[in-house]
Amino acid sequence: MSAVVAGVDIGSTTAKCVVLGEDSRILGKSLSVVGVDIVKDAERALEAALADAHLSRSEVSFITGTGYGRYKVYFGQLVVTEISCHARGANFLFPGTRLVVDIGGQDTKAIRIDEKGEVVDFAMNDKCAAGTGRFLDVCANALGYDVGEIGPLSLQARRAVKVTSTCTVFAESEVTSYVSRGKDPKDILAGLHASIANRTLSLMQRVGVEPEITFTGGVSQNEGMVHALHRRLGVPVNVSPLSQYLGALGAALHGRERLSGGAA
Amino acid sequence: MITGGLDLGAGVIKGVLLEDGRRILATASAPSRGIPVQTAHQVLDALGETANIAPDDIDYLCTTGFGRYSIPERNLQVSDFTSSARGAIFLFPKTRMVVDVGTQASRTMSISETGKVLKFKMNEKCAAGAGRFVERCSKYLQVPLEEMGPKALASERPKLISSVCAVLAETEIINNVAEGVPLSDILMGVFLSLAQRAHSLMRYVGIQPEVTLVGGLVRNVGMVKALHDTVGMDLNVAPDAYYAAALGSAVLGHSRLRKLATAPQGARG
Repeated sequence: MSAVVAGVDIGSTTAKCVVLGEDSRILGKSLSVVGVDIVKDAERALEAALADAHLSRSEVSFITGTGYGRYKVYFGQLVVTEISCHARGANFLFPGTRLVVDIGGQDTKAIRIDEKGEVVDFAMNDKCAAGTGRFLDVCANALGYDVGEIGPLSLQARRAVKVTSTCTVFAESEVTSYVSRGKDPKDILAGLHASIANRTLSLMQRVGVEPEITFTGGVSQNEGMVHALHRRLGVPVNVSPLSQYLGALGAALHGRERLSGGAA
Repeated sequence: MITGGLDLGAGVIKGVLLEDGRRILATASAPSRGIPVQTAHQVLDALGETANIAPDDIDYLCTTGFGRYSIPERNLQVSDFTSSARGAIFLFPKTRMVVDVGTQASRTMSISETGKVLKFKMNEKCAAGAGRFVERCSKYLQVPLEEMGPKALASERPKLISSVCAVLAETEIINNVAEGVPLSDILMGVFLSLAQRAHSLMRYVGIQPEVTLVGGLVRNVGMVKALHDTVGMDLNVAPDAYYAAALGSAVLGHSRLRKLATAPQGARG
């Protein structure tokens, strides 16, 4: 029996899958948008990652589901919360991690972890779009940009505006009024990123800010946000091209432990 | 003696002309887009036309609302709490509680028999409890704002909204549409969600009869029904309550003017 394991992370916005080989090497991964049929989206995420790894389904010994839609990963053998998975994934990629900041499409979490990657404490906002990827989506839209463009643009700001609204809806109006007052969109974008950094910091403070800090979730791919967090915290945050996959990676790692009989 | 009241709200500018502090001569409103001062002048012109008087015939102008400082020719400005309370007392003298769900903020206050504000609670931080949420729903459900209320009245099984955020609720509502939930049930669900938020503001202040609804919400029959069903008591509703803050500031303008007229010359400000 080969010891290939897979983790499937069904988020509110995207599905991620990571296929892990015996030596914990990433053999394949996938990222896709989540639609209405979550069950099918989970299947597709796994198939895409298997295709990337040039493996067939029968070669995978264990599948773990995580994320918002984890109970729809019907083909999996284990379900783990995304909090534990992000903790484990961050620990794997950056072993010095003590605080994980996960900014996803629809929620934000601050997770304090120990040196083994176990969760010590966490705080989360899943009630309100403020401070989440959704906030950036809405504001990018209001400025006529694609969400992928706004991070780099925000880095070109000369003087960030101050965004006072917490609520996404009110921030959208604030953005529009800044535009009509002739403010540079780059300065507005920098202000928006700084505002999320502020909100994130207060979430982090609820569990205690302790380096190293690893930034995960879809928004970690936004370099403007990485910069804004760094500025607000005064210390750099760990980020990698794999940051968005840390939930799926952590799920695969949890599966591997289960397969080998208990905790590592 | 003619006094004017102007309420410069976040969504709509409203105006009232009042004769001798007792009789409403005219009411008018316009959406506050672009430059508020221009819209305010349009409202004043419309008032003058209805009452058939020239702008100079207004003896005293009192402004209220978010943009109350933007009108240079005002004689007085008062807070929107004070003016709504006065307007509510003018229309329903037994009012002890005023509820206002505005475009950008919702407010609840308890008032004395003379219209003094005793205690209040306001939400201006979150769109989920404000009219802006209804405006957004109107847009993505493609139901004109003024048709939302009447349509909601047909609801048999309102579809409650679990999200407490206007943005996250959007996804939920769109999913409900996709699942074939009747439009009237979705709309009533939106109004009930706003009503629950207004109700918790009311409970915070302490509910006491009579409760008078003021501002934009009185024009929305769906919202009025949702609030009535949520609170479980009779609520005062009148068409002129839409202008309550403007009306109240005209009333306050009148009493100020009378005081000035009766005061000794030297004391005139």
